[in-house]
Amino acid sequence: MGNNSFWSSTKEEARGLYAALFDKDWPPWMAGLLLAVICTVYVLWRNPWGVIAGYRNWGDWFFYGIGTFADRPLSPLMHNFSLSNIGLLGGALASSLLARQWRFNRQPGIEYIKALVGGVLMGFGSVVAAGCNVGGFYIAVGTFSASGFAMMAGMIIGTYFALRYLLWEIEKFPSKASPPAAPASEKTRKIDWNKVQPYIGGAIILVIIALFYVYGAMDQTMLGGFLFLGMLVGLVMHRSRFCFVAAFRDVFMTGESKMVRAVALSIVAYALLMAVLKWLYITEDGIGVYNRFWLGGLGGGIIFGFGMVLAGGCGSSSLWRAGEGNTKLWVALVPFCLSMSFFYPLLQNAGWFDKLGSAVYLPAVFSWEWTLPLYGIFFLLWVLIALWNEKSEKLVIF
Amino acid sequence: MDLSGITSDKVLDARGLTCPMPMLKTKKTLKDMASGTILEVWGTDPGSKNDIPTFVQKGGHQLLGMEDVAEGYTRYLIKKG
Repeated sequence: MGNNSFWSSTKEEARGLYAALFDKDWPPWMAGLLLAVICTVYVLWRNPWGVIAGYRNWGDWFFYGIGTFADRPLSPLMHNFSLSNIGLLGGALASSLLARQWRFNRQPGIEYIKALVGGVLMGFGSVVAAGCNVGGFYIAVGTFSASGFAMMAGMIIGTYFALRYLLWEIEKFPSKASPPAAPASEKTRKIDWNKVQPYIGGAIILVIIALFYVYGAMDQTMLGGFLFLGMLVGLVMHRSRFCFVAAFRDVFMTGESKMVRAVALSIVAYALLMAVLKWLYITEDGIGVYNRFWLGGLGGGIIFGFGMVLAGGCGSSSLWRAGEGNTKLWVALVPFCLSMSFFYPLLQNAGWFDKLGSAVYLPAVFSWEWTLPLYGIFFLLWVLIALWNEKSEKLVIF
Repeated sequence: MDLSGITSDKVLDARGLTCPMPMLKTKKTLKDMASGTILEVWGTDPGSKNDIPTFVQKGGHQLLGMEDVAEGYTRYLIKKG
């Protein structure tokens, strides 16, 4: 009798926990705070979080494979940022399975064309800005690299023009929809996909944890950590559908301010955590501060911003959307990776990098005592503008 | 919720499309409709389940209902304000 009620109440607890975590999406502000903490762990572990280094590793493998590059790149399973990306994919996949939301999603052809173009633009923009929305904006701002703000301005501009394009496109080329493949047949199959999904999701998490131990056994704990941290990012971002694209695009599209608030909160929290580490030299000043202020940030931001709206995902959201079965982002990731590998050595050899600006460390310019309040004021202003726009819709373009 | 009794004035088929296309098309289509008419949106994007209700409410319209259909998509019924 006693045993029965213990187990049944435990099952009830487990069911309640599952419902709380996976029935509804997580609020973005909460995910933003978690993200700031995870990003801090990345810095303490080894490097600030980033996605494009991993993309470039994958792109390098393609060019090495077809003989264009002579140097053999580091194995994707031994490259910390490649593993972080794989972890992110895994975490997002697990999250969507646990929430019974995973679906293979087929889209009209024009969407895939936009994915290809968007992917190329994102790759090129990332090379110019020395970072995507993560390394070039979020991490840059958080680690007090001035170029982060230049990229932010660029992304606002790029997003605006891409939205203008999309409005023109739906007028001129109204695309047909793609009805989903008949899932009705699933009911007649022996396995109920809906019931099985969460278990597969849970298994993926366990596998990644197990892989952490495998890396440890190979004396590569650092790499295992990147895989695990990537999974946490993927899980948190997918659960909340945390999207930097939305933070920039929604201002012009619907006036929705939710993602602006979430990103602002997250970035300020991360910056405060980084200030704690950097002010008293726990972490070197230079960590994360390499992006080129200001032409690199601005120019790269405009190009990247345009591309991310076309592709329907940024550097980070492309991964978690790919993880939930969004085939448009599967397609976008390919040119993203390839153009990174293609343009990076091209621009470097052509001497572009020096002309795009140099790294500027804000506390060295403004002192810590000024930088932190300025950050607070800046992001408060951004949020206030977004809230004002939500009511007045003055910036909404249709 | 039983939405079978409601006849929509227009159907927007956004199945297969993902962010931002469903939202963009919904907003644009709704703009061109008369007040009081009902727009039915068919979608498969998980994000729309948050985006569309929020937009409808903020825009002064009414979300009559939202249901998952057996064929694997979601129907949103929106009454223009």
